[in-house]
Amino acid sequence: MRASASGSSGPSDPSGPSGSSGPSGSSGFSGSPGAPGSSGASGASGASGSPGRRPEGGQGVEGRALREEGGGRPDGAEASPPPPAAKPPRVTWQKLTFRPAVLIALLLATWLWFEQADLDALTRNALSNGQVSKALWQHIELTVISTFFVLIIAIPLGILLTRRMFRRATPVAMALANMGQATPAIGLLALLVIWLGIGRRAALIGIIAYAVLPVLANTIAGLRANDPTLLEAARGIGMSPLGVLGRVELPLAVPLILAGVRTALVLNVGTATLATFGGGGGLGVLITTGITSQRMPVLVVGSVLTVALALLVDWLASLAELLLRPRGLEAGP
Amino acid sequence: MNFWEYLANRHQQVLADAYQHASVVFQCMVMATLLGVLIGVVTYRSEWAGNLATTATATLLTIPALAMIGLLIPVVGLGVPPTVIALTLYGLLPIVRNAIVGLRGVDPSLVDAAEGIGMSRTARLARVELPLAWPPILTGIRVSTQMLMGIAAIAAYASGPGLGNLIFRGIASLGSENALNQVLAGTLGIIVLALLFDAAYVLIGRLTIPGGIRA
Repeated sequence: MRASASGSSGPSDPSGPSGSSGPSGSSGFSGSPGAPGSSGASGASGASGSPGRRPEGGQGVEGRALREEGGGRPDGAEASPPPPAAKPPRVTWQKLTFRPAVLIALLLATWLWFEQADLDALTRNALSNGQVSKALWQHIELTVISTFFVLIIAIPLGILLTRRMFRRATPVAMALANMGQATPAIGLLALLVIWLGIGRRAALIGIIAYAVLPVLANTIAGLRANDPTLLEAARGIGMSPLGVLGRVELPLAVPLILAGVRTALVLNVGTATLATFGGGGGLGVLITTGITSQRMPVLVVGSVLTVALALLVDWLASLAELLLRPRGLEAGP
Repeated sequence: MNFWEYLANRHQQVLADAYQHASVVFQCMVMATLLGVLIGVVTYRSEWAGNLATTATATLLTIPALAMIGLLIPVVGLGVPPTVIALTLYGLLPIVRNAIVGLRGVDPSLVDAAEGIGMSRTARLARVELPLAWPPILTGIRVSTQMLMGIAAIAAYASGPGLGNLIFRGIASLGSENALNQVLAGTLGIIVLALLFDAAYVLIGRLTIPGGIRA
């Protein structure tokens, strides 16, 4: 629905940002990260009839946010069969080993290809003196720093925007998030570089700006998807607003927030490849050098390392998602 | 030269780039939609094939666009081929996922009823299941299109067509007075195109989503 909410599309899905009621909002979003799939199933079960088909809309969180489904799959599978037979363990053996095995194979294949390839002077020059590890390290730094800032900006802002006093601003923030999605990352980065000058700072700000909105949208969706009756109950037993937030709302929203972390990490690994156009370094340097100088080995090293890093980061984040999820939320309905 | 003067001066080139951008995205989306729905239809019935397709598309989506293009260049060279392949591939992913989720979400009793009144499997698919799954598929198409707008801009670095060329020309001439205008024209052009496509999809949704299931 995020996608549909953008532009003028309101009509096509009424459960959009306009829906102030819990269930409609939640069902609209539940698809976005794999995690809420489960919360949607339990919480918004009433609404999951017709909007049940809408989850996919939710994934619009960001084109890329769909990837959450991958990680969410195992638990989706465990929640969907109505009589949950022996519940599979959180981290299955295959899940733990498959991705790393593929990564190792990929890197090994690249390395073997390199062993037999004969490299000319220019290629050797571009890859020597630890330049590859430097680019890799820069890339990791860009990703980690930007993810950190994205999270400390987006999550508190999301919490703030779902408080009663700011609730009116939520649709505005969502609409803004949708608009932001239409902005090409490279254009945003280029504008920042022109504005702030070339260098790492502009690149970092660009990466952060690009990821804040999807994570913010995720957080808001997660907090709004919480079952209103639970919050009611918490208030009923005399919890203060802060207590409700800290002891009920946030723990319930943990899966979504973790999905947001994963979204941010993966997005940032991708956007960080563009940092090279702003003088920010990273693995994009190898890719662009390879393209401009027509040296395929350089290009392949840069690309393969970027792909491996993205998959590794996604895998680590999906593990974190599985392990850090509050145990009470596992069983589904 | 301010931005408006720049636009007045270069509107032909900007329009040509915008046209190419829209055209490559549109053509790739058509291909991606056909392939994506086809993959969805083929895989959704079987538990493992559907899950495999979903997982594979999710994994592919984590791969940064520049790296994907970088891997395609040694195989297919520079220019239009890597752009088209990368765009179609990325465009496919949300559609496959939504097609599978949508087709699996169709109420089994409806399919049963269709079978009961004597519809063949193909007829059930074409007249019951696909129309019911169409809204999520359309959502997938919209998500894909927005994503492709940005990826097409990056593909310009591999000599692809479109508005990305303006952005990269701006980056290459940092400091010159036209750099900002070029980048701005490219970026705003892409945003405008994305919004136009989105509006078009709303219209298509109005026209093609069967009245009975419109929310």
